[in-house]
Amino acid sequence: MSQALLDIQELSKYFGGLKALDQVGFNVMGGEILGLIGPNGAGKTVCFNLISGVYRPTAGKIYFNGQRMDGTSPHQVAHKGVGRTFQIVKPFGTLSVVENVLVAKGITKYNRFSRIWSTWKSKAEINEALEMLERVGLKDLADRQAGLLPLGNLRRLEIARALLVGHKLLLLDESFSGLRHEEIVQLEELIRSIRETGITVLLIEHNMRVAMGLCDRLVVLDHGSKIAEGRPQEIQQNEKVIEAYLGRKEASDAA
Amino acid sequence: MSAYLITIATLIAIYAIVVCGLNVIVGFAGQISLGHAAFFGIGAYSAALLATKGGLSFWTALPCVIAVSAFIGLLLGLPSLRVKADFLAITTIGINFIVEALFLYVPFFGGALGIGGIPRVMFFGIKLKGLAFFYLCLFFLVVVILICWWFRRSWAGLACFALREEESAAASMGISPVRFKLLAFVIGTGMAGLGGALYAHYIRFIAATDFAFPVSILFLSMVVLGGMGTLWGPVLGALILGALPEIFRPLVDYRFLFYMVLLLIMIRFQPGGLLGERSAVRRVLASIIPGAHQ
Repeated sequence: MSQALLDIQELSKYFGGLKALDQVGFNVMGGEILGLIGPNGAGKTVCFNLISGVYRPTAGKIYFNGQRMDGTSPHQVAHKGVGRTFQIVKPFGTLSVVENVLVAKGITKYNRFSRIWSTWKSKAEINEALEMLERVGLKDLADRQAGLLPLGNLRRLEIARALLVGHKLLLLDESFSGLRHEEIVQLEELIRSIRETGITVLLIEHNMRVAMGLCDRLVVLDHGSKIAEGRPQEIQQNEKVIEAYLGRKEASDAA
Repeated sequence: MSAYLITIATLIAIYAIVVCGLNVIVGFAGQISLGHAAFFGIGAYSAALLATKGGLSFWTALPCVIAVSAFIGLLLGLPSLRVKADFLAITTIGINFIVEALFLYVPFFGGALGIGGIPRVMFFGIKLKGLAFFYLCLFFLVVVILICWWFRRSWAGLACFALREEESAAASMGISPVRFKLLAFVIGTGMAGLGGALYAHYIRFIAATDFAFPVSILFLSMVVLGGMGTLWGPVLGALILGALPEIFRPLVDYRFLFYMVLLLIMIRFQPGGLLGERSAVRRVLASIIPGAHQ
C-alpha cells in the first residue's frame, strides 16, 4: 500500500439526510486501471466529484501522491495532474474541436499571470493539439464546431482534453456509454495505450463486460457504501455484488 | 464635415469604446451585465471630479480614472461569482440603480445639478475640440479594439471562452472561474471608464441620468445587434444604434420601442448578431472575399 497514487479514507458525502457516500475507502495504485462500478445511484459520480473537487466531503480524507487533496477546488485539482471527463459530455459548444483541445493545453499557462497574455494561435500549439486529436482519432474533425459532433466523438474529445490535464491520474466517467460496439473496442485500445504511458486510470463503468475486461481491479459501490473490492474474477463470484445487481436469491424464488 | 456630423461621430466612437468593454464581459466571458452604464458613469464622474475639484489635466487623470473604474468593476464583479445568468442580470441592474442614486443624492457628486464646467482636453497646449477631439476618441477606439483583438488570441481570452461555454468543464482544465471572470470585469469596466472620461470632457456637463439603466440597455442592444463575442460587432452595433436615432429624428420618442423590437428580431433570426458566426452578413462577406470567415 506504500505507493498508492490516490488514497481515499472513510469518505462521506451527505446531501441533507441522504447519504450519497458513506465511509468509503479504497486505494488507486500508480499505473493501474481501477474500475468503480455499482448500480444506479450507488454514489460513483459523487465519488468522482469529491476527488475532482466539485464537492467538499462531509467527512473523510483524500490523499493524492501523499498530499491531502479533499476540499481543493476543481481548477487546483487539475493543476495537480488529475484530468476528468463528464458523464454528461460538456464540450465548449461554439468552439471548434481543436480549440476545445487547446483550452486543455493552456493548463500550463492559467496559473501564471504573465503567461496568459501570450497567444494560443501559434503553429506549435495548434500542431500539438492536432497530434492529440490524431491520437483519439478526431484529427479530420479538427475544424468542426464541437457542439455539433455526435456523442461518440464528444466522448473521445473529452478524453483528449482530460489527457492533456491528467498526466498523473485520469478519471473517466462512463466514457463507454452510448457507444457502438466498434467504438467501444477502439476506446478500450486507447485506454490501454494511455496506461502504457504511465498514467493511472480510475473509471466508472456500467457495461460489465467492458469493466471486467479492461480493469485490473474493481471497487463496487451500492447505496453509498463499498460492498466489494478485488480482481474482476473475484468480483464476478462475490455474493454481495450479485445481490446488489440482481436482487436476493429468496426474493427471486418468491417471485 | 459639419459640426453636427462630428458630434454624432464622436459620440458613436465613445459608445463603441464602452460597448467593446461590455463585449469583453458579456461576449467573451459570458457574464450578462445590465449595469454597464454605471461604470461609464463612474469613469465620467471620476474624470469630472479630478478635473474640476482636483485640477488635474485629462492626461494625468486618465490612468486614475481607468484604475478607479476597473477597481470598482472588480468589487462589483464579485457577485458574478455567486449568481449566474438571469440572477446576475438582475443584480447588475441593481448596481446600476445604486450607482445612479449615489450620483444623484450625494452632494459631493453634485446632486441633481450634476457637474459642469469640465475643461476641454489639452494636447501640447492646444484645446481639442470638434474634429480634433473626434480623432482623439478614434485613437482610443483603435487602442481598445487592438486590446480586444489580442485578448481573443490570448490564453486569457481562451479561458474566458471556455468559462462562457461550460464553467465546470473549464474548471476541470485548470481555469479558475474566479480569476478569469474578474479579469473580464476589470478589462470591461476599465474600458467603460475610459469612455466615461472622454464623454465627460466632451459634453463638459454630466448628470446622473446620463448613466441610468436605459443607457445600459442601449449598450447591451449594441453588443447583441453587432454580435456578442465578435471583434467588430460592438463597433458596428454602436454605429447603427448611434446613427439610427439621428436618421429617424421624428421617431426619437419611440427609440426604446424600436430597440426592443430590434432586439427581439435579432434574437429570433440572427441570435449571433450581425457579425456572428453563420450570420447573413458573414455569409455575404465570405462569398465576396474568400477566407473572410476568419
